[in-house]
Amino acid sequence: MNRRIFFLGLTGLAGCTRDRRQRLNVYNWSNYVGAGTIPDFEREFGVRVRYGVYESNEEMLAKAMTGNSGWDVMFPSNSLIDPMRQNGLLAPLRHQWLSNLGNLEPRFRSPAWDPDLRWSMPYMWGASGIVFDRKMNPRPAAWSDLWRPVLRNHITMLDDGPEVLGACLKKLGYSLNSCRSDELEKARAEAMAQKMLLRAYLNAEARDQLVSGDITAAQLWATTSQQAMDAAPALDFVFPEEGFALYADTAVVLRESRRERLAHEFLDYLLRPAVGAAIVKETRTATANRAALELLPESVRQSATLYPPEETLRRGEWFEPLPAAGQRLRDRIWTEIKSA
Amino acid sequence: MKLRFWFLLPARIWLTMLLAVPLGIICVYSLLTRGAYGGVSLPWTAENFTRLADPLYGAILLRSLWMAAAATALCLLMGFPLALFIARARKWRGLYLFLVILPFWTSFLVRTYAWMFLLRDTGLVNAALQAAGIIREPLTLLYNNGAVLLGLVYGYLPFMVLPLYSTLERQDPALLEAAADLGAKPLAALFRVVIPLAAPGIRAGSILVFIPCVGAFLTPDLLGGGKTVMIGNLVQNQFTTARDWPFGSSVSLALMTVVVALVVLFLRRDAEEAL
Amino acid sequence: MKPGLSLYAAAVYAFLHLPLLILAAFSFNSSRFTVWEGFSLRWYRAALSDPNLAEAAWNSVVIAIVSTILSTMVGTLCAYGFWKRRDRVLSNALYLSLVTPEIVMGVSLLAFFQWTFRFLHWRLGLHTVILAHVAFSIAYVVIVIAARLRTLDGSLEEAAMDLGATEWGAFRLVTLPALGPGIASAAMLALTVSFDDYVITSMVAGVDSETLPMWIYATARRGANPTINAISALIVVFFGALILLSERLRGSQK
Repeated sequence: MNRRIFFLGLTGLAGCTRDRRQRLNVYNWSNYVGAGTIPDFEREFGVRVRYGVYESNEEMLAKAMTGNSGWDVMFPSNSLIDPMRQNGLLAPLRHQWLSNLGNLEPRFRSPAWDPDLRWSMPYMWGASGIVFDRKMNPRPAAWSDLWRPVLRNHITMLDDGPEVLGACLKKLGYSLNSCRSDELEKARAEAMAQKMLLRAYLNAEARDQLVSGDITAAQLWATTSQQAMDAAPALDFVFPEEGFALYADTAVVLRESRRERLAHEFLDYLLRPAVGAAIVKETRTATANRAALELLPESVRQSATLYPPEETLRRGEWFEPLPAAGQRLRDRIWTEIKSA
Repeated sequence: MKLRFWFLLPARIWLTMLLAVPLGIICVYSLLTRGAYGGVSLPWTAENFTRLADPLYGAILLRSLWMAAAATALCLLMGFPLALFIARARKWRGLYLFLVILPFWTSFLVRTYAWMFLLRDTGLVNAALQAAGIIREPLTLLYNNGAVLLGLVYGYLPFMVLPLYSTLERQDPALLEAAADLGAKPLAALFRVVIPLAAPGIRAGSILVFIPCVGAFLTPDLLGGGKTVMIGNLVQNQFTTARDWPFGSSVSLALMTVVVALVVLFLRRDAEEAL
Repeated sequence: MKPGLSLYAAAVYAFLHLPLLILAAFSFNSSRFTVWEGFSLRWYRAALSDPNLAEAAWNSVVIAIVSTILSTMVGTLCAYGFWKRRDRVLSNALYLSLVTPEIVMGVSLLAFFQWTFRFLHWRLGLHTVILAHVAFSIAYVVIVIAARLRTLDGSLEEAAMDLGATEWGAFRLVTLPALGPGIASAAMLALTVSFDDYVITSMVAGVDSETLPMWIYATARRGANPTINAISALIVVFFGALILLSERLRGSQK
C-alpha cells in the first residue's frame, strides 16, 4: 500500500508544470500580509512569490546566517539589524528603486537603529503594555499595578526575557536595555517577587485566556491586545506610565539574494498606500506606512492601542542590541527567574 | 558472519554522516566562544563547561530527570493494560493500533492547545466537575507540574504501547492455559508469566519514553506556563533567544552524557540490553 | 478480566481522542476565538483555498512516507544485525540520536549541510529534510524491532540453515515474516515521528520545502487560529481513510 502511494505521489510531482516566471522568496512573520497582497503582486509583476512564515527572530536568523538560505527578503526586528549587518548578511537598500519611501511615518524615516535607512525598511511596529478587564478597580496605569497581591493567580506576563526584565527595569526607573549588574539584580528581585502572583508566562495564549475570563490582566503586545479587545469589549489596554518597550519589524534584502531588483520592487509595493491599507485592515497591526494609515477609517487611526498619541509614545523605549556580557547576564537572570 | 556486516552497514553510514559528524560539530562549538552577534567565534575556551558547575543548572537537570522518570512510570502503568487488550483482541487489532496512533497525526502543538483549552478554569474539565457538584470553585489544573506530566504522558503513550504490543503479541496463549492448569489465578498469571515475558517490550518502551521526555521543552513551556525550566527549555533557550550556541552545546553534551550513562547502567543491571 | 480490560481500553481511547474531538468541534466555530459562536465552514474553505497550506501538507506527506520507508528498512536490518551479535558503539550511537535535543540536532545538521553543500553547490530542500528524518527515526525502528526479536527463537534460523537455506534465505523466509507486526508498529512510529517533527525540519528545510508543522507552528504561536483545526481534522480524516482502505484491501486479500 505504501509503495502504491509513493509512486502515485512521484508521478504527481513529475506532472507539475515547470513555472518559467521569475521567483522571489519572502520570509516573514505570520499574519503580516493580507489574503490578496501576494497574489496581487504576482499578477502585476508577472512573477511567482514563495512566501514562507516563521515565528521567532532566531529561527529567521539561523537561516540567514548560513549565507545560503535561498531567501531574498526577510523581516527582522529592529534590534537585529545591526548584528545582521555586522555579520555581512544584508544588502544595502538602493533608494533609487524605492520611490515610495516617503510614505513612511516621519519618525521611521530616520530611526535610531538605521538613521539613513541604508539597510532596512520599517514595516510594522508595536509595543507592549497592560491589557486588563475593565472591572478592575482601580484601573491599572503602571507596571507596578501588576504586582498587586489581590491579583494573585489572575495575571500573566510575557514569556520573553527582554520583555519581563524590561518591565521590571522600567518599574524601577531604569533603562529597558540596561546591562548594569546592580540594576539587573534589582529587576530580578522584582520579577521573583512577582512570580508568586503569576498564573503563567504566556505569549499569544494570554489572548484566549483574557477573552474567556480566566485572567484579569496581562502584559501583552498592543496588537495582540487589540485582537483580544475586538473579541471581548470588556477588555481595555493601557501604556504604563513608567515607560514601555517598543519594537519594529523591518524588511531587509539579504546579500545572498540574486534578485535584488525584484526584492526592492516588492518592498516598494508594500509601501504603496492602497496595499498597506489593505494589509492592516486584515491584520490589525500597526503599520509604519503613514500614507496607508491615511486611507484607513477614523476609528482605526484613533485607536489608542494601535496608534497612541505622541505624548504616550514618548514614554516608550526601543529595544537595542546588547553586548555579549550583558546578554549573558540577562540570560542567566531570566533562567533563574523561570526556574524559581 | 559476513551478512551481518552488510546488514549493519546502512545504519552505520547514515549515523556516521548524519549523527556523528554533526555531533562532532557541536563538540567543537562547545569549546568556542559566543560570537559578538550570534553564532560562534574564536577563541577556544573551556568556560562553557565550567559554567555548568553552577548549582542552578544541576537542579534543572535533576528536575528534568525526575519528571521524565515519573512520566515513564505513568506511561507504563497506563499503556500496559491497553497493549494487553490490543494483543489479546481477536479481530480488528490493526484498527485498535491505528486508533492509538491516529491523534498523533495532528500537530503536537494543536493537541497541546486542545488540552490547555480543556484544563482552563473555564474549560470543560472544570465545568464538568462543577456540574457534578464535586467542586465549587474551579481548580487550577493548568500551569503546574501535574499538567506537564499529563502532557508528557499524553504525548508519549504510543511510544510505550507500540513496543509493548510488539512483544505481547508474540506471547503464546498456551502459556496462560498452562499457568491456569497449574492453579494460578488470572492476576497471578499476569504478574508471574505475562509481565516477565514482556520485559523486552517494557525496556524498549521505557527507553523510548524516558529519553525524549528528558529533553522535552514544548510541553513544560505550554502546559507549565513557562514557570519551570527543564533542561530542554534551557538548551532551546541558548540556541534561540540567548544566542549562546557554545553554552547550549555544552549543556546538551552534558545532558546526553548523563542520559546515555543512565540508560546503559539501567540496562546492564538486567544483563540484557534493549539493543 | 476481559470486560474490565475492554472498559479500561475504552477509557484510554477516550483520553487519547478527547483533544481531537475538541479540535474538530472548534474547526466548525464561526468565531476565531475559543468561545463558541456558531456553526461555520469558513475555516475549511480557508484551509482548502490556501495554496501554501496545500503544498506544505503535501510536502509533509511525501517526506513522512519516504523517510518511513527508508528508516524502516535501515532500522530492521540494523536490529537484525544486533540480534546476531551486539555492537556497543552503534547501539550507543542510537541512544545518542534519541537523547540529542532536537534543536541541537537541527543546528548541527544545518551546519553540516552548509559545509558539505559549499563544496557540492546544493541547496537545502526536501532531500535534506528526508535525510535528517531518517537519521532520527532509525533509533525508534531499531528499538521496537529489537524488542520483538528478543521474543523470537534463534534456533529456528539455525534449523533452516541445517536444512540447506543460506543466511539470507533464513532471514528472508523465517525471521522476516515473524517480524511482520513489529515492522508495522515500527513503521507507524517512524511515520508519526516524521510527520509531526517541527524543530529539526524547520532548521534544515529549504525555501521550497515548507512542511505542515512549520506552517502550523508559525501560525499558532500568534494565537489560536481555527484554520489549523480545520487542516488537522482534514489530515486525520485523510490518513484514517487511507489506513481503513488498506485494512479493507488486506482483509479482502485473505
